[in-house]
Amino acid sequence: MNHQPFEEWLLNDKNLTSTEKRELDLHLRTCTHCTALSATGLALRSANVTVPAAGFSMRFQQRLAAQKIAERRRKLWGMVVLVLGGIGLLGWFATPIIYTFLASPAEWITVVIGYFLFIVTSLQAMTEVASVLLRIAPDFIPPYMWMVLVSALAGFGLLWIISIWRFSRTPQGVSA
Amino acid sequence: MNEETAWVIQAQQGSDEAFTKLVETYQTPVYNLCFRMLGEPELAEDAAQETFLRAYQHLHRYDPKRSFATWLLSIAAHYCIDRLRRRKFSMFSMDAEDDEGNTFELPDPDSPDPEAEMVQGQTRDRIQSMLKDLDDTDRAAIIMRYWYDYSEAEIAESLRLTVSAVKSRLHRARKELAGLWQEEETRTENERRPYESPAF
Repeated sequence: MNHQPFEEWLLNDKNLTSTEKRELDLHLRTCTHCTALSATGLALRSANVTVPAAGFSMRFQQRLAAQKIAERRRKLWGMVVLVLGGIGLLGWFATPIIYTFLASPAEWITVVIGYFLFIVTSLQAMTEVASVLLRIAPDFIPPYMWMVLVSALAGFGLLWIISIWRFSRTPQGVSA
Repeated sequence: MNEETAWVIQAQQGSDEAFTKLVETYQTPVYNLCFRMLGEPELAEDAAQETFLRAYQHLHRYDPKRSFATWLLSIAAHYCIDRLRRRKFSMFSMDAEDDEGNTFELPDPDSPDPEAEMVQGQTRDRIQSMLKDLDDTDRAAIIMRYWYDYSEAEIAESLRLTVSAVKSRLHRARKELAGLWQEEETRTENERRPYESPAF
């Protein structure tokens, strides 16, 4: 049986003219397929809206409060694990140093002072090299290069600030 | 600025009171969508609560240029689809069960016309039980179309589909429902026949 255009009308919920309505009625008398389409369309359009049990928003508030508590607890536990892990890791690395220190404190102090002096003298040397370079470099670097350098630094700075802002932004509500 | 937009902005700024007003306004449409999708009042309640919780947590992502109802129903529909994909539920949800485990709805004796009420109730249950045989996304599209009068464009936006995909899904679902309706009619007809008087 040819269902066109009746099937299209029913599927698209077309507003029918009186002539079209008559034609459809005639077709529905003989076509079970289109009758079922029409019946389901009618049933769907007359279906009721189911309402939730009374006190829905109250139950939501309770659930939200529970969720906030659970979130806070999760964060606290995360922090505890992180701190304990950090302390453990620090202890793991520090244990040999502590043992060395306890075995011969004088030798250890000498080594530490030696390192400290090495760092200080290295820093002094690097500062001197940097100051010499800064005195000489402006004569070699053209002005547009300075502009490029300053712009690049400004760009990186902006990118850094945006990244920090985006990562530090917390979702609304949960941590409140 | 209308009241709803004001509530959304206040809720985005952290006002729980404003969000509660949004919950009170949209609890019925969200619950109804979840119920039609999942078919069980308990599951629907849980899904509706979860929908509002997700909306609360992601309120900063809501674009005020979009309709809040569409955004909320989109969350509900996706949640229900995910849930149905994880596990298939029995979607029959009636008020009573007979000895063979067949479910039926008890008519309200206080209603003016209990017989008409019962027929209407049976039609509603028939639609609800037929919905469960549809594909999850098709079902969501049908619910949005017939319960919320959403246009094809709005359904497409909510379900992240193209308008033509929505149209073909709606047509396919309607044809499937009609097929199921026909099967049910034939079955009922065959069940009725043995009890009919031979004189007719």
